[in-house]
Amino acid sequence: MIGLIQIEFGKLWRLHSLRFSLLLLTLFPIVWAYAPGVFDVYGFFVLSAYQVPALSLLSSMEFLLPLLVAIASAELLGMEIGFSTLPTVLLRPVTRSQWLVAKLFVAALYPFLLLAYLLLVSLLSGIPFGYGGFVGGTGVGAGGLLGEGLMMPSTAVLELLRAYAVAAYSLAPISLLAVLFTVIFMNAAGGALATLSTLIFMQLLLVFPVLEPYLLTTQLNSYVNPVASMGWIFALILLYGAAFAALSVVLFERKDF
Amino acid sequence: MSVTAIETENLSKVYGSRPIVRDLSFRVDAGEVYALVGPNGAGKTTVIRLVSGLAFPSSGTVKLLGINPFERPQIRRHLGAVVEAPAAFYPYLTGRANLNLHAKLAGGVGRGRINEVLEMMELGNASERKVGVYSLGMRQRLGVAAAMLTKPDVLILDEPASGMDPLSLHLVHRVLREAAEQGTAVLLSTHHLDEVAAYCSRVAILEEGLLIDEVNLLDRRDRYRARVSDLGKAQVALQTQAFISQVTSLAGELVFSLNDPEALGQVSRVLVEAGVMVLELAPDSFDLRAYYRERLSTQRARTPRGAKNPTFGEQA
Repeated sequence: MIGLIQIEFGKLWRLHSLRFSLLLLTLFPIVWAYAPGVFDVYGFFVLSAYQVPALSLLSSMEFLLPLLVAIASAELLGMEIGFSTLPTVLLRPVTRSQWLVAKLFVAALYPFLLLAYLLLVSLLSGIPFGYGGFVGGTGVGAGGLLGEGLMMPSTAVLELLRAYAVAAYSLAPISLLAVLFTVIFMNAAGGALATLSTLIFMQLLLVFPVLEPYLLTTQLNSYVNPVASMGWIFALILLYGAAFAALSVVLFERKDF
Repeated sequence: MSVTAIETENLSKVYGSRPIVRDLSFRVDAGEVYALVGPNGAGKTTVIRLVSGLAFPSSGTVKLLGINPFERPQIRRHLGAVVEAPAAFYPYLTGRANLNLHAKLAGGVGRGRINEVLEMMELGNASERKVGVYSLGMRQRLGVAAAMLTKPDVLILDEPASGMDPLSLHLVHRVLREAAEQGTAVLLSTHHLDEVAAYCSRVAILEEGLLIDEVNLLDRRDRYRARVSDLGKAQVALQTQAFISQVTSLAGELVFSLNDPEALGQVSRVLVEAGVMVLELAPDSFDLRAYYRERLSTQRARTPRGAKNPTFGEQA
């Protein structure tokens, strides 16, 4: 299984969508941190390099990151269909489920890699603002961007790491959902678009307040929640991810190639 | 006793309400090259995919080396296959890197073997080039190389001759023939009847998912006909000879097959010693192309193509 996962990581790196995502996420924090309209949209001025990652997350978690994650995850399986390599690979003595589980594992890990990169680029983009202590907040901890007094660098870094980890965790089921839809449609574009349609549909379900806490889209903002309230949110996200992964494997096992 | 490498029994595949493969039963023994031929849409590729375990049968069974590949996928360790035409590889990797990846998936394949199959398929010089720039024929050769990586007991190839120049085609024929001689069972689908006639042991003719005929080409090869002065005496004289595998009379002529093609000279000697005059001796060439056309037209006359579209399980 480790060998399969290594192979899938190799393929991930070759994806056009991954390279496009990295390019976009390189430009994104730089453009955003120095955009003239930040105050008009978010109501604050960037004071510290530690606020740039929050700005990146605030502006991309709603749509951009789910989109990038869905496209790459769909392409991870879709490339096999595009290159017609799927039957060739499945003829080797690996079971279908082993092979797909390796893909699902890499797809689930992908948001973590992407967000680690975004965090790094965001922090680097904030160089002109400096990395010292500042009065205010990181935007992802208690007190939001205004903060609760003096913010020390170590506290800021910890807050950012926690928020980015939670954000990546909440994106993981979207990755798995994209793989599921690609298994269903046997097409990368179909898989990615179906995932986005599902997310948009979920957002529209906000008109049913009783459903809101359980929607996957609601969990995309969970990175700002205090740690104490995260227990059931973690479980819910895990449940979504496990269900999407299990369904992918079950459907994949029954496919004709 | 020959070992059965591939065996299907009443194999059927239905997509929606359309039967693609119907009640197909055949077996391929170790050391045999078995060809599936038929017009487009006859179901050849579906049979290849069913036998390889890529598609699930609607009914019937498939066994590779006596084992159901759907129940025990590990049996694929003994299988080498090219099921896409042209053979599918990651275009951004070199030929060698693609084979490395296959070797990793297969397990237990050393670097030496990768070099060996690359040389065998005359791809040594192109091995460091990306597959994306390979010609169709090169991809097909790389496909055969990948299939041969594990020295498989069973080789399954869909249209191995697709896009190949005559030299590459000759190379692939040679490799497959040598594999068969070493005991590998080879199942292939093709439209190239000359290729089939040249080196396949048996051929199955498919039409609309049905196996309409199976021809043993070994019986038809090394077969001769002779016009002789005394047919009865000649038949008796040859029957007892070890180098004769079969002798019969057909349309006033003596028809015989040799166990050893080199023994043809001895036939005349035996007949002359038996007091039989040989008036004419010639190879009894079997025209597979003509036979194929005749079988298809007979079948179509019986069941007009697409007109009846027999339902699943119904024999035309």
